[in-house]
Amino acid sequence: MKEPVYEVFARKTREEPLRHIGWVNAMDGDLARVYAWKTYDEQNWAEMCVIPRSAILPVDPDESQFVMAGRDEHEDEIVHSRGTGSYGGGDVAVKEGQ
Amino acid sequence: MTETLPAAAAYEKAEQLPADVRAPLRDLILALADSKRVLGLRYSDRMLGSPTLEAGIAASSMAQDEWGHARLTYALLGDFGDDPKALEHERDAAEYRSLDALDAELDGWHGMTAAGLLLDMALTAQYAALVDSRYVPLRNRVQKLLDEEKFHFQYAAAWARRIAQVPELRAGLEAALGRVLPLALRWLGRDEAPGMRRMVEEGVVRDLPSDRRARFLARVGPVLEEIGMADALGVVRDAGEWTCTARTDWSGWDDVARRAGGSLDEATAARARGDLNRALLMD
Repeated sequence: MKEPVYEVFARKTREEPLRHIGWVNAMDGDLARVYAWKTYDEQNWAEMCVIPRSAILPVDPDESQFVMAGRDEHEDEIVHSRGTGSYGGGDVAVKEGQ
Repeated sequence: MTETLPAAAAYEKAEQLPADVRAPLRDLILALADSKRVLGLRYSDRMLGSPTLEAGIAASSMAQDEWGHARLTYALLGDFGDDPKALEHERDAAEYRSLDALDAELDGWHGMTAAGLLLDMALTAQYAALVDSRYVPLRNRVQKLLDEEKFHFQYAAAWARRIAQVPELRAGLEAALGRVLPLALRWLGRDEAPGMRRMVEEGVVRDLPSDRRARFLARVGPVLEEIGMADALGVVRDAGEWTCTARTDWSGWDDVARRAGGSLDEATAARARGDLNRALLMD
Protein backbone atom coordinates (compact mmCIF):
# COMPACT_ATOMS: atom_id res chain seq x y z
CA MET A 1 0.00 0.00 0.00
CA LYS A 2 1.40 3.33 -1.06
CA GLU A 3 1.35 6.10 1.52
CA PRO A 4 0.30 9.54 0.30
CA VAL A 5 2.71 12.44 0.46
CA TYR A 6 1.86 15.44 2.60
CA GLU A 7 3.70 18.71 2.05
CA VAL A 8 4.67 20.55 5.23
CA PHE A 9 4.43 24.33 5.58
CA ALA A 10 5.30 26.43 8.60
CA ARG A 11 5.99 29.92 9.86
CA LYS A 12 7.82 31.24 12.88
CA THR A 13 5.74 34.34 13.49
CA ARG A 14 2.24 35.45 12.63
CA GLU A 15 3.63 38.10 10.27
CA GLU A 16 5.77 35.63 8.33
CA PRO A 17 4.21 33.84 5.34
CA LEU A 18 3.85 30.08 5.46
CA ARG A 19 6.79 28.50 3.69
CA HIS A 20 7.43 25.03 2.46
CA ILE A 21 9.78 23.18 4.79
CA GLY A 22 9.51 19.56 3.67
CA TRP A 23 7.24 16.58 3.29
CA VAL A 24 6.22 13.37 5.01
CA ASN A 25 4.65 10.11 3.95
CA ALA A 26 1.60 9.30 6.04
CA MET A 27 -1.48 7.12 5.88
CA ASP A 28 -3.82 9.93 6.84
CA GLY A 29 -4.01 13.53 7.95
CA ASP A 30 -3.74 12.70 11.65
CA LEU A 31 -0.47 10.86 11.20
CA ALA A 32 0.76 13.50 8.77
CA ARG A 33 0.27 16.13 11.48
CA VAL A 34 2.19 14.07 14.02
CA TYR A 35 4.98 13.16 11.62
CA ALA A 36 5.38 16.74 10.44
CA TRP A 37 5.53 18.10 13.99
CA LYS A 38 7.93 15.41 15.12
CA THR A 39 10.15 15.47 12.02
CA TYR A 40 10.49 19.22 11.59
CA ASP A 41 10.65 20.20 15.27
CA GLU A 42 14.12 21.70 15.22
CA GLN A 43 12.68 25.19 15.05
CA ASN A 44 10.21 26.91 17.29
CA TRP A 45 7.36 27.15 14.78
CA ALA A 46 4.37 29.35 15.49
CA GLU A 47 2.24 27.40 13.04
CA MET A 48 2.64 24.31 10.95
CA CYS A 49 0.29 22.89 8.32
CA VAL A 50 0.23 19.78 6.19
CA ILE A 51 -1.38 19.56 2.79
CA PRO A 52 -1.90 16.39 0.77
CA ARG A 53 0.28 16.74 -2.29
CA SER A 54 -2.72 15.53 -4.29
CA ALA A 55 -4.62 18.66 -3.22
CA ILE A 56 -2.12 20.96 -4.87
CA LEU A 57 -3.36 21.96 -8.30
CA PRO A 58 -0.54 22.98 -10.58
CA VAL A 59 -1.36 25.96 -12.75
CA ASP A 60 0.48 24.27 -15.59
CA PRO A 61 0.65 20.48 -15.07
CA ASP A 62 3.16 20.11 -17.91
CA GLU A 63 5.62 22.29 -16.06
CA SER A 64 4.98 20.82 -12.59
CA GLN A 65 6.99 17.61 -12.45
CA PHE A 66 7.44 17.96 -8.69
CA VAL A 67 3.77 18.22 -7.83
CA MET A 68 2.81 15.65 -10.44
CA ALA A 69 5.41 13.08 -9.34
CA GLY A 70 3.96 9.91 -7.92
CA ARG A 71 0.32 10.78 -8.41
CA ASP A 72 -2.08 7.94 -8.97
CA GLU A 73 -4.84 7.96 -11.56
CA HIS A 74 -7.42 9.34 -9.16
CA GLU A 75 -5.17 12.26 -8.35
CA ASP A 76 -4.48 12.85 -12.02
CA GLU A 77 -8.20 13.11 -12.62
CA ILE A 78 -8.42 15.89 -10.07
CA VAL A 79 -5.44 17.75 -11.45
CA HIS A 80 -6.51 17.48 -15.08
CA SER A 81 -10.16 18.24 -14.48
CA ARG A 82 -11.39 21.22 -16.40
CA GLY A 83 -11.55 24.42 -14.45
CA THR A 84 -14.96 25.81 -13.60
CA GLY A 85 -14.04 29.27 -14.63
CA SER A 86 -15.69 30.56 -11.50
CA TYR A 87 -12.56 32.51 -10.64
CA GLY A 88 -12.02 33.61 -14.19
CA GLY A 89 -9.31 31.10 -14.86
CA GLY A 90 -11.13 28.75 -17.19
CA ASP A 91 -9.31 25.54 -17.99
CA VAL A 92 -5.80 26.04 -16.72
CA ALA A 93 -4.75 22.53 -17.64
CA VAL A 94 -5.03 23.03 -21.38
CA LYS A 95 -2.40 25.08 -23.09
CA GLU A 96 -3.27 27.59 -25.72
CA GLY A 97 -3.09 26.08 -29.17
CA GLN A 98 -3.57 22.49 -27.98
CA MET B 1 -27.13 38.75 46.43
CA THR B 2 -24.49 36.17 45.79
CA GLU B 3 -21.53 36.35 48.07
CA THR B 4 -18.23 35.93 46.30
CA LEU B 5 -15.89 33.61 48.11
CA PRO B 6 -12.24 34.59 48.18
CA ALA B 7 -10.09 32.52 45.86
CA ALA B 8 -8.18 29.82 47.71
CA ALA B 9 -4.54 30.70 48.18
CA ALA B 10 -2.02 28.98 45.99
CA TYR B 11 0.72 26.82 47.44
CA GLU B 12 4.01 28.17 46.16
CA LYS B 13 6.15 25.69 48.09
CA ALA B 14 5.65 22.08 49.12
CA GLU B 15 6.36 23.00 52.74
CA GLN B 16 3.15 25.08 52.71
CA LEU B 17 1.05 22.03 51.89
CA PRO B 18 -0.76 20.30 54.77
CA ALA B 19 1.22 17.21 55.80
CA ASP B 20 -1.62 14.85 54.89
CA VAL B 21 -1.54 16.28 51.36
CA ARG B 22 2.21 16.71 50.94
CA ALA B 23 3.01 13.01 51.41
CA PRO B 24 0.47 11.56 48.95
CA LEU B 25 1.29 14.28 46.41
CA ARG B 26 4.97 13.41 46.62
CA ASP B 27 4.07 9.73 46.07
CA LEU B 28 1.91 10.61 43.09
CA ILE B 29 4.64 12.75 41.49
CA LEU B 30 7.22 9.98 41.92
CA ALA B 31 4.89 7.39 40.37
CA LEU B 32 4.33 9.71 37.41
CA ALA B 33 8.03 10.43 36.96
CA ASP B 34 9.02 6.76 37.11
CA SER B 35 6.27 5.78 34.70
CA LYS B 36 7.31 8.48 32.23
CA ARG B 37 10.93 7.40 32.44
CA VAL B 38 10.14 3.75 31.72
CA LEU B 39 7.59 4.59 29.01
CA GLY B 40 10.29 6.62 27.25
CA LEU B 41 12.57 3.60 27.36
CA ARG B 42 9.88 1.35 25.94
CA TYR B 43 9.13 3.82 23.12
CA SER B 44 12.83 4.10 22.34
CA ASP B 45 13.01 0.34 21.85
CA ARG B 46 10.53 0.67 19.01
CA MET B 47 12.39 3.44 17.16
CA LEU B 48 14.09 0.90 14.94
CA GLY B 49 12.06 -1.57 12.96
CA SER B 50 9.04 0.71 12.83
CA PRO B 51 6.59 0.27 9.94
CA THR B 52 7.78 3.47 8.26
CA LEU B 53 10.67 5.88 8.65
CA GLU B 54 8.29 8.61 9.79
CA ALA B 55 6.77 6.31 12.43
CA GLY B 56 10.27 5.62 13.77
CA ILE B 57 11.17 9.30 13.87
CA ALA B 58 7.95 10.02 15.72
CA ALA B 59 8.61 7.17 18.17
CA SER B 60 12.06 8.64 18.78
CA SER B 61 10.59 12.06 19.40
CA MET B 62 7.93 10.64 21.70
CA ALA B 63 10.62 8.82 23.67
CA GLN B 64 12.41 12.15 24.05
CA ASP B 65 9.16 13.77 25.14
CA GLU B 66 8.63 11.12 27.79
CA TRP B 67 12.15 11.49 29.13
CA GLY B 68 11.70 15.23 29.19
CA HIS B 69 8.45 14.82 31.09
CA ALA B 70 10.17 12.45 33.51
CA ARG B 71 13.04 14.88 34.09
CA LEU B 72 10.63 17.74 34.66
CA THR B 73 8.55 15.63 37.04
CA TYR B 74 11.52 14.33 39.04
CA ALA B 75 12.74 17.91 39.38
CA LEU B 76 9.52 18.82 41.20
CA LEU B 77 10.49 16.47 44.00
CA GLY B 78 13.39 18.69 45.03
CA ASP B 79 10.78 20.93 46.65
CA PHE B 80 9.64 17.94 48.72
CA GLY B 81 13.09 17.38 50.21
CA ASP B 82 14.15 14.69 47.74
CA ASP B 83 17.35 14.73 45.72
CA PRO B 84 16.06 14.45 42.12
CA LYS B 85 19.45 13.28 40.89
CA ALA B 86 19.48 10.43 43.40
CA LEU B 87 15.94 9.49 42.41
CA GLU B 88 16.96 9.37 38.76
CA HIS B 89 20.29 7.63 39.09
CA GLU B 90 20.66 5.85 42.42
CA ARG B 91 17.67 3.60 43.01
CA ASP B 92 17.36 -0.17 42.78
CA ALA B 93 14.81 -1.69 40.43
CA ALA B 94 12.52 -2.65 43.33
CA GLU B 95 12.23 1.03 44.31
CA TYR B 96 10.76 2.10 40.98
CA ARG B 97 7.08 2.98 41.10
CA SER B 98 6.53 2.78 37.37
CA LEU B 99 3.31 1.54 35.86
CA ASP B 100 3.48 -2.24 36.12
CA ALA B 101 2.15 -2.70 32.59
CA LEU B 102 5.53 -1.29 31.50
CA ASP B 103 7.57 -3.94 33.35
CA ALA B 104 7.68 -5.97 30.13
CA GLU B 105 8.95 -4.73 26.78
CA LEU B 106 6.33 -3.61 24.28
CA ASP B 107 5.44 -6.56 22.10
CA GLY B 108 5.99 -5.33 18.56
CA TRP B 109 3.91 -2.64 16.94
CA HIS B 110 0.74 -3.93 18.63
CA GLY B 111 2.37 -3.35 21.98
CA MET B 112 3.65 0.06 20.94
CA THR B 113 0.18 1.09 19.83
CA ALA B 114 -1.56 -0.32 22.91
CA ALA B 115 0.92 1.42 25.20
CA GLY B 116 0.49 4.71 23.35
CA LEU B 117 -3.26 4.55 23.36
CA LEU B 118 -3.90 3.24 26.86
CA LEU B 119 -0.85 3.61 29.09
CA ASP B 120 0.37 6.98 27.83
CA MET B 121 -3.21 8.26 27.95
CA ALA B 122 -3.74 6.98 31.50
CA LEU B 123 -0.69 8.97 32.56
CA THR B 124 -2.04 11.94 30.63
CA ALA B 125 -5.40 11.67 32.39
CA GLN B 126 -3.55 11.87 35.69
CA TYR B 127 -1.45 14.86 34.60
CA ALA B 128 -4.61 16.56 33.34
CA ALA B 129 -5.98 16.38 36.87
CA LEU B 130 -3.02 18.53 37.94
CA VAL B 131 -3.23 21.26 35.30
CA ASP B 132 -5.06 23.69 37.60
CA SER B 133 -3.47 22.51 40.82
CA ARG B 134 -3.18 24.96 43.70
CA TYR B 135 0.40 23.71 44.05
CA VAL B 136 1.96 26.22 41.68
CA PRO B 137 5.19 24.44 40.63
CA LEU B 138 3.12 21.55 39.39
CA ARG B 139 0.56 23.69 37.62
CA ASN B 140 3.31 25.61 35.84
CA ARG B 141 4.78 22.50 34.28
CA VAL B 142 1.82 20.45 33.21
CA GLN B 143 0.27 22.38 30.31
CA LYS B 144 3.22 22.04 27.93
CA LEU B 145 3.35 18.36 28.69
CA LEU B 146 -0.33 17.97 27.88
CA ASP B 147 0.15 19.86 24.62
CA GLU B 148 2.81 17.36 23.56
CA GLU B 149 0.64 14.45 24.57
CA LYS B 150 -2.00 15.45 22.01
CA PHE B 151 0.38 14.25 19.33
CA HIS B 152 1.01 10.99 21.16
CA PHE B 153 -2.72 10.34 21.21
CA GLN B 154 -3.14 11.13 17.52
CA TYR B 155 -0.25 8.84 16.72
CA ALA B 156 -1.57 5.92 18.75
CA ALA B 157 -5.16 6.35 17.55
CA ALA B 158 -4.07 6.49 13.90
CA TRP B 159 -1.96 3.37 14.25
CA ALA B 160 -4.76 1.55 16.06
CA ARG B 161 -7.06 2.36 13.12
CA ARG B 162 -4.46 1.22 10.64
CA ILE B 163 -3.63 -2.08 12.36
CA ALA B 164 -7.33 -2.82 12.86
CA GLN B 165 -7.80 -2.65 9.08
CA VAL B 166 -5.33 -5.48 8.52
CA PRO B 167 -7.15 -8.79 9.11
CA GLU B 168 -4.07 -10.75 10.14
CA LEU B 169 -3.04 -8.09 12.68
CA ARG B 170 -6.39 -7.35 14.36
CA ALA B 171 -6.24 -10.18 16.88
CA GLY B 172 -2.76 -9.18 18.02
CA LEU B 173 -3.83 -5.61 18.61
CA GLU B 174 -6.96 -6.65 20.47
CA ALA B 175 -4.91 -8.97 22.69
CA ALA B 176 -2.40 -6.22 23.43
CA LEU B 177 -5.17 -3.75 24.27
CA GLY B 178 -6.85 -6.38 26.44
CA ARG B 179 -3.63 -6.96 28.37
CA VAL B 180 -2.96 -3.34 29.23
CA LEU B 181 -6.45 -1.84 29.62
CA PRO B 182 -7.12 -3.31 33.10
CA LEU B 183 -3.66 -2.20 34.22
CA ALA B 184 -4.16 1.31 32.88
CA LEU B 185 -7.51 1.62 34.64
CA ARG B 186 -6.10 0.27 37.89
CA TRP B 187 -3.06 2.54 37.78
CA LEU B 188 -5.34 5.55 38.05
CA GLY B 189 -5.84 4.45 41.65
CA ARG B 190 -8.54 4.16 44.27
CA ASP B 191 -10.74 6.98 45.55
CA GLU B 192 -10.17 5.58 49.05
CA ALA B 193 -6.37 5.71 48.83
CA PRO B 194 -4.84 7.53 51.80
CA GLY B 195 -4.70 11.24 51.14
CA MET B 196 -6.58 11.04 47.84
CA ARG B 197 -9.69 12.89 49.00
CA ARG B 198 -7.59 15.41 50.91
CA MET B 199 -5.64 16.27 47.76
CA VAL B 200 -8.91 16.95 45.99
CA GLU B 201 -10.31 18.97 48.92
CA GLU B 202 -7.19 21.13 48.90
CA GLY B 203 -7.44 21.70 45.15
CA VAL B 204 -4.05 20.12 44.57
CA VAL B 205 -5.60 17.44 42.38
CA ARG B 206 -8.73 18.24 40.42
CA ASP B 207 -10.76 15.10 40.95
CA LEU B 208 -10.85 11.53 42.24
CA PRO B 209 -9.47 8.47 40.45
CA SER B 210 -12.97 7.33 39.46
CA ASP B 211 -13.46 10.66 37.66
CA ARG B 212 -10.10 10.25 35.96
CA ARG B 213 -11.02 6.77 34.81
CA ALA B 214 -14.19 8.22 33.27
CA ARG B 215 -12.21 10.94 31.47
CA PHE B 216 -9.64 8.41 30.30
CA LEU B 217 -12.39 6.14 28.91
CA ALA B 218 -14.11 9.11 27.28
CA ARG B 219 -10.85 9.78 25.42
CA VAL B 220 -9.96 6.25 24.33
CA GLY B 221 -13.47 4.77 24.14
CA PRO B 222 -14.37 6.38 20.81
CA VAL B 223 -11.18 5.04 19.24
CA LEU B 224 -11.84 1.53 20.56
CA GLU B 225 -15.40 1.77 19.25
CA GLU B 226 -14.22 3.01 15.85
CA ILE B 227 -11.87 0.06 15.44
CA GLY B 228 -14.59 -2.34 16.55
CA MET B 229 -12.89 -3.56 19.71
CA ALA B 230 -14.76 -1.69 22.45
CA ASP B 231 -17.29 -4.45 23.11
CA ALA B 232 -14.65 -7.15 23.32
CA LEU B 233 -12.72 -5.02 25.81
CA GLY B 234 -15.81 -4.31 27.90
CA VAL B 235 -15.72 -0.60 27.11
CA VAL B 236 -19.27 0.65 26.66
CA ARG B 237 -21.07 3.94 26.25
CA ASP B 238 -24.07 4.27 28.52
CA ALA B 239 -26.14 7.45 28.31
CA GLY B 240 -23.16 9.37 27.03
CA GLU B 241 -20.79 8.07 29.72
CA TRP B 242 -17.99 5.68 28.89
CA THR B 243 -17.43 2.85 31.35
CA CYS B 244 -15.60 -0.46 31.50
CA THR B 245 -17.63 -3.47 32.52
CA ALA B 246 -14.56 -5.46 33.56
CA ARG B 247 -13.99 -5.42 37.33
CA THR B 248 -10.69 -4.00 38.48
CA ASP B 249 -8.57 -6.47 40.42
CA TRP B 250 -7.24 -4.63 43.44
CA SER B 251 -5.68 -7.68 45.10
CA GLY B 252 -2.17 -6.87 46.26
CA TRP B 253 -2.56 -3.23 45.24
CA ASP B 254 -0.24 -0.78 46.98
CA ASP B 255 -1.74 2.73 46.92
CA VAL B 256 1.62 4.37 47.54
CA ALA B 257 3.67 2.54 44.92
CA ARG B 258 0.66 2.27 42.60
CA ARG B 259 1.60 -1.29 41.88
CA ALA B 260 0.25 -4.73 42.72
CA GLY B 261 3.51 -6.50 43.45
CA GLY B 262 6.24 -7.37 41.01
CA SER B 263 9.05 -5.07 40.09
CA LEU B 264 10.85 -3.48 37.21
CA ASP B 265 13.71 -5.77 36.21
CA GLU B 266 17.24 -4.76 37.09
CA ALA B 267 18.41 -4.50 33.46
CA THR B 268 15.66 -1.98 32.63
CA ALA B 269 16.35 -0.06 35.83
CA ALA B 270 20.04 0.07 34.87
CA ARG B 271 19.04 1.69 31.57
CA ALA B 272 16.68 4.08 33.33
CA ARG B 273 19.45 5.06 35.75
CA GLY B 274 21.99 5.49 32.98
CA ASP B 275 24.44 2.98 34.48
CA LEU B 276 26.29 2.42 31.22
CA ASN B 277 27.80 5.89 31.22
CA ARG B 278 27.62 6.58 34.93
CA ALA B 279 31.29 7.64 34.99
CA LEU B 280 30.38 10.52 32.69
CA LEU B 281 27.50 11.75 34.83
CA MET B 282 27.97 15.40 35.75
CA ASP B 283 26.38 17.56 38.40
